[in-house]
Amino acid sequence: MELYFWIFAAMAIGAGIFTVTARDALPSALGLLTVFISLASLYLHLQAPLVAVFQVTIYAGAILVLVVFVIMLLMTPEDKLAGEQKNLPFRSMGAMLGGVTLILLALGVRGVYCMVGEKALSDGFGAPKLFGSLFFNDFLMHFEVVSVLLLVALIGAVYLSKKNF
Amino acid sequence: MDMSVTINHYVVLSSILFGLGIIGFVTRRNAIILFMSVELMLNSVNLMLVAFSRYRADMAGQAMVLFIYAVAAAEVAVGLAILISLFKHVRTVDINSFSLLSDN
Repeated sequence: MELYFWIFAAMAIGAGIFTVTARDALPSALGLLTVFISLASLYLHLQAPLVAVFQVTIYAGAILVLVVFVIMLLMTPEDKLAGEQKNLPFRSMGAMLGGVTLILLALGVRGVYCMVGEKALSDGFGAPKLFGSLFFNDFLMHFEVVSVLLLVALIGAVYLSKKNF
Repeated sequence: MDMSVTINHYVVLSSILFGLGIIGFVTRRNAIILFMSVELMLNSVNLMLVAFSRYRADMAGQAMVLFIYAVAAAEVAVGLAILISLFKHVRTVDINSFSLLSDN
C-alpha cells in the first residue's frame, strides 16, 4: 500500500510543477488534470471513495472543462505574452516567497505527528450512506447556504457574460 | 526505519502542492494559469482535510471538502466570467495589462 501512495504523490508533485511552469495555458490545464486524477486516487487510499468520485466529476469533469473552454475562447494564436522574462526581480521574489512558505509549512508539520494519534476506523467509514446521513443532518444548514452561494454565482456569471457589460 | 505512510506524508505532500500553487500565483502573468494555481492550492487543502478525516476517523472533514468544491465551482464560474468580460476590453489575458482602474 505504501507504493500506491508514493506513485500518486510523485505524480501529483510532478504534474503540479508542470502546471505552474508550462509556457502555454493548455498544457498547464492538462497538468492540472493529472493532479486532480492523482489526488482522486489518493482519496481512495484515504478511505474516501465518495470524495474521489466528486473530485473526478466536479473538478476534472466540470471545472477543468470550463477552464479549457475559456482557454479555447480567449487564446488566439497572436496572443503570445510578450517579454515573458521582463520583470525578473518580481518573479524571483515571488518564487522565493513560495519557496519560503513551502519550507515553513514542511517544518511546521514536524509538530503534527505527536498531536494526532491515529484512531481506529469505525465500520463503514467513508461509505456513502454514512456520508449522506452526516451531510443532511449535521450540515443541512451549511448545505442550504452553499446552494444559495451557487445560485448567486450562477446569476453573477450569466450577468457578467452579457454582451454589453 | 518505519516507512509506512502516516499523516505526516500527506501533510508534506499537501504543503508542497500549496507552495507550488503560491509560486505559480505570484510568478505567472497568464490570468488563466493564475486561476489554475488557485485551484491547485484549494486541492492541497482538500487533501489535508481528507487526510485528517482519515486519521481522526471523523467524516466531518469529508463533508467539508464538499463545501470547498462548491465554493471552488462558484469562484471559477464568476472568475472566468470576469476574465471574459475583461478580455473584451483589453484583448489579452496578460495580468500586467489589466490597468483599467489606474489613473495613467
